[in-house]
This record gives sequence, C-alpha cells and structure tokens, in this order.
Amino acid sequence: MRFFIFLALIAAVPALAQGIAPQDRRSGFETMGPEAQAMQRDDFSNPAMLGVAAGEAAWNSAPANGKPACSGCHGDINATMRGVDARYPARQANGAVMDLTGRIQTCQSQHQAITPEPRESAGLLALQAAVALRSRGMQIEAPASRGLSEAVSRGEALYRQRLGQLNLSCAQCHDDHWGRSLGGTRIPQGHPTGYPIFRLEWQAMGSLQRRLRNCFTGVRAEPFPAGASEWIDLEIYLRQRAAGMASDAPGVRP
Amino acid sequence: MRLSAGAIGFALLLALPAAAQAPMASGAVPEAAPLPVSRPADPASGRKIVVERRRGFCLLCHSGPFPEERFHGDLAPSLAGTGSRWTEGQIRARLIGSTAINPETIMPPYFRKDGGTILTAEEIEDVTAFLTTLRD
Amino acid sequence: MTTAMILVPRTPIRSGDVVMLKAMISHPMETGYRRTENGEEIPRNIIRRMICRYDGVEVFSVEMHQAIAANPFMSFGVVATKTGPVEFEWVGDNGFRHRQSAQLTVTG
Repeated sequence: MRFFIFLALIAAVPALAQGIAPQDRRSGFETMGPEAQAMQRDDFSNPAMLGVAAGEAAWNSAPANGKPACSGCHGDINATMRGVDARYPARQANGAVMDLTGRIQTCQSQHQAITPEPRESAGLLALQAAVALRSRGMQIEAPASRGLSEAVSRGEALYRQRLGQLNLSCAQCHDDHWGRSLGGTRIPQGHPTGYPIFRLEWQAMGSLQRRLRNCFTGVRAEPFPAGASEWIDLEIYLRQRAAGMASDAPGVRP
Repeated sequence: MRLSAGAIGFALLLALPAAAQAPMASGAVPEAAPLPVSRPADPASGRKIVVERRRGFCLLCHSGPFPEERFHGDLAPSLAGTGSRWTEGQIRARLIGSTAINPETIMPPYFRKDGGTILTAEEIEDVTAFLTTLRD
Repeated sequence: MTTAMILVPRTPIRSGDVVMLKAMISHPMETGYRRTENGEEIPRNIIRRMICRYDGVEVFSVEMHQAIAANPFMSFGVVATKTGPVEFEWVGDNGFRHRQSAQLTVTG
C-alpha cells in the first residue's frame, strides 16, 4: 500500500504535465459559489459595474489641459472598443508589447499629455473595466496567433518554474490541483477571463497583476515590480492557456 | 479521478522494472539524522507549529486529527498515522526537503542552513517529535 | 470619485403597483478595525445613512454600520402612486454626501 501511494505521487506528474484539456477548462466564474455568480450575473448588483460607470464618465471627459478626452480620438466606446480587451496584451505599432493598462497609460501620457494614472488606481481600473466590458461574451484570442509566441514561451516557463520559500510553481496548483482545497479555499484553474475584477476578499477592484502578486506572496516569492515585463509575459501565457474561453469581464471573484 | 487512473496505469507499467527503482522503494526512503539543537524536542510545541497557519501551515494541504481546526486541505495525505507509516528519520527527511524523496512534490522544504529557512532546527525537531506520536 | 447606480424598472408601471428599486454606490466602507502593514490604524470611513425620497416624501431609509460591505447595495419595494423623481442620498464619515435621482414613470 505504501509502495502504491508513492507510485501514485510520481505518476501524477507525467499524467498532468500537459496542463488542462480544452474541454476541462473552467473559468473562475464557473467554479465560484452560486452567491458570487448571482452577484455578477445582475449588472445592478455587480460592484465592478460601478467601475464601468466611472470609466465611461472618464472616457468622455477631457483633461483640463485642453487635450482630447478618450472619446475625442476613439469616439463611441461601444463601437471602437468592441473586442479590444479580447486581443490584449498586444504588440503596438512601435513593436512594444503592452497589456491594456499599459496601453491606456500610454494614451494618457502621449495623447492627453497628463501624468498617467498609476496601476491599481481606481481611475485606471475604471477605464480598463469600461473597455473590457466591450469584449464581454467574446472569445479570448490566442496571443500566439498574433505574433506573441516568444512571450507565450517565456510566460509558460515562468508558470512552470518553482518559486519562493515554499518552492511551488503556478502549474503545481492551477494545472495539477485545481478543484482541491487549500485550507478553506478551492483552487481555481487560474484563467484570466474576468479582469479587472471586483474581488470580495479585497472589497475593491483590482487587476490581474495584483492577483498574481497575491499568489507570489502566497508562496513567499518576491513579486516583480508593477508593470514588469515578466508580469506581461505571464499574462500572455495565461491568455494563451485561456484562448477561446469567453470573457466575463468585469467579473466578481471571491 | 484522473489521478487514480494515471496512477494505476503507471503502476502497471512499473510492475516489471520496479526492482530497478530501488532508491524509490519504500524501504529506501531516506532518513535524516537529528539536527543539532539547543534544547530537547517538545512534541506539544510541534503540534502548535503544525496547526498554526503562519508557521507550519501544514493544514493548508494536509488533514489530520485536529478537530479544533477548521478547513483542512486535501492536497496531500492525512497526517493521521504518520508515525506508524514512517520512521522518525523519514519524517524528518520529508520536513527538511521532500524533493529529495520525490522531485515533483508540492511539499515545501522546511529547513535550510543557508538562510531563508521556514522552520528552525529546534522547530523541525519539535514537529518531528510530534508527528511520530500520530500512530493511528 | 463617487459613482452610484440607481435602477428603476423600465416596464410599464400602473398606480398601485409594487416596484423594486435598486441602488448601489462606490464606497470603501472602511471599518476602522483594520491596520496597515506597518501597524497603523486605518480610520473608520463608512456611509452612516441612506435615504430614499419618492416625489419628495421619504419612503425608505437605512442606518449602516461597519459590517456592511464595500459598495453598499440596497434593493427594496415601493408602491408606485404617480410619476415623480426617486432621490437617493447617502451620508457618511468625513463629510461624505452623495445625491442622485432617477425618474419613476407611472402610466395609468
């Protein structure tokens, strides 16, 4: 018996190392409790929609320096931002790869000539939520099909690398042990379908980078600085892993 | 489900060459000698470390005979009976660095000499002493 | 910036109907019991009271305390009598005050 248990531990790794089969993928929305699902299903009880409302107001308001509002260049958010979040992170015309947050910050500095709002600020999360809503229900596009294969590989290497004092990789929890209980918490598969999210644990809106930072400190690894290219690589790999799943942004999560 | 199916498949595959896996056979699970400590091991203190969420945090992954604690994890085997399944040296070896026994383990290495250790040598000995008492 | 959302049913409403109103407002509802990573107390910052007036008359109010989650969400029924504004007012710590209204239209 003891021998068999030991073999089972060894065998678990090759059996699962390929990750999650497409038909077995479940978003955080699907695996969270019915109360949180109900909160997200009704736009009037989803707190992230307050962020959307604030973001839409910001979209249409010009900065004090006379430069255009977002709408001054992009027009109607419903038309021009449709499907944009589903294809982010994305390579820009100048070759740089940016997440949606970085893209909005670039607009703020280059076209609005204002100091970009910092990552995790309510204003930036609100704008991101307003943009992300325009991809809700759409399939997440595979970054590898948009010339980001190298970033996908770098992100996957990071995803599979053991990290921190606890010596755990992302894959060991989210590929190999999803659905199991870590203390009182059910381990999700870790698909970024709903960002920015209103997380009940935070009692606030937050980004994917904030969520990833939580996992890093959870395994007692030092997180990368905000906006670091490693975070973007990891996001790109996670979007590749979730490609074809429907966006449910802006989501509620426990 | 997938795990047990995979395990059975692997067990069948390994049935023949099992003898060649000598270092992995149960009798050969490495043992670790007691760490040099400044005081005798204290099983009661070991139990506290096991259940405390910010020190041992064992119950994030393991369940066990700790009825006062809620939310045991199910990522790893129950700690019940640890003391009859493994020798004291084997328990200590698992605490210090489980990857030496199974390279793919998710169990964190609890002791390092070069700084950044999770538990001190004394705490490793306390937990080892406690786990050997879990006979059932 | 404070954002609030008020939902008044868009379906035709007749006088005497019970209609459900929903309101949610962005607010951290900081309890005053938490501390920062450096051990400093985070001062309490909550909404203390929400009042709803329909056609100028107070029809619903609620006192809030620390146990209410961030972004308080309230849903309650009122008897529709005639077309008029539904005004919400939230009052809280640090001089917090936010007013927002929507129109309740009664057809027949």
